[in-house]
Amino acid sequence: MSEQPYQDPREFQDPLENYDAPEYADALEKNLMEQRVSDLRTQPFISIGPELTVREALATLVGEDIACATVVEDGRLVGLFSDRDALERVALEYDDVCDKPVREVMTKEPLFVREDDSPAAALCVMAGAGYRFVPVLGADDRVTGLLNPPRLGDFLQAHFDGA
Amino acid sequence: MGLQENLLNEPVRQLALREAITTSPDLPLREVIQRMREKGLGCVLVVDAEAKPIGMFTEAMLRHLLVENRAALDHKVGQEMANIFPWVELTDPISTVLDAMQTKRHRFVAVVDADGKVAGLTGQKGVMEYIADHFPQHVLTQRAGAEPPLSEREGA
Repeated sequence: MSEQPYQDPREFQDPLENYDAPEYADALEKNLMEQRVSDLRTQPFISIGPELTVREALATLVGEDIACATVVEDGRLVGLFSDRDALERVALEYDDVCDKPVREVMTKEPLFVREDDSPAAALCVMAGAGYRFVPVLGADDRVTGLLNPPRLGDFLQAHFDGA
Repeated sequence: MGLQENLLNEPVRQLALREAITTSPDLPLREVIQRMREKGLGCVLVVDAEAKPIGMFTEAMLRHLLVENRAALDHKVGQEMANIFPWVELTDPISTVLDAMQTKRHRFVAVVDADGKVAGLTGQKGVMEYIADHFPQHVLTQRAGAEPPLSEREGA
C-alpha cells in the first residue's frame, strides 16, 4: 500500500475557487438552462423506415396529422421527413418521386439534442440553426422524442406562469 | 425588464419579421409552390388589390393536397387558400403571436400595418428567435449534435 505524501492543509488550493456559479436574470432563463430536454413533452412522435415510399410517407403524415416524422434505420436516426421536404423535393415532382424511397427526399443527418441537454440547446437548434423539428436521442442513440416549437412553447408558458 | 414583461409589452414590430410572399388569388398553385421554394418559406399570403391579406396558403395545406387531391395543384391559389387565418398588427404585443402559436397552434401569423396592408410575416420561428435573442450567451452557444458521439474513446 502506497502512502500519500503529506500535504499541509494550509497549502490546499481549491480547484474550483475561481468558479463562479452562473447567474440568471429570471426563472425562465434558469429553467431553460438547468432543466433537461427530458423534462419537456417530446412525445408522441412517429418514426418511419427509409425504404417507405414517398407516397406512403406522405400518407403517414396526413393520416397521423403531423408535419414531420423521424426516419429510423436499425434503430438509428438517419433523417427527418417533413412538410418542408415535401414542398422542396416532392410537390412539383410527385409523379417522378412518389414510388421512390423516402430516403431520397428526406433531410439527412438532422441536428439533434440529447435527453440530458438543456431546453436552451433545443432552442438553439430552432432559433440559431433554423430547424423546426429537433429529434431527441437517448443515451443509446435511439430516438426517444421529437421537439417542435409548440412543445417548447408549452415549456416556456408553464414557466411564465410559475415565474 | 424580464422576458415575460417584454413579451407582454413589446410590439410585434420588434420581432425580426420575415418578408411575406404575397400573391393575387389568380396565381396558379404550381407557381405559388415555386415561389415558396425560392424564398424558403412555408407560407404565402394572398392579397387583394389594396395589398390587404384575404387568405393564406401553407405547406401543411400542400401536404393534404398531395395526398387527398393532387388535381388541385392545377387550381389557382385562391381556390385552395384558407380564408380564415391569424393576423396581428405591428403595434400588438408579441404575446398575441405566442398566443396564436400556443392556443390555436398556428405556425404562421400575418402582420399588417395600420391600414391593414401586409407588413410582414411571423410565427413560431419569429418567437423562438426573439426568445433566443434574450439569452444569446446561453442559448446560441449550446451544443447540438449532427452525429452520435464516438463509440470508443479517442487518444490515450
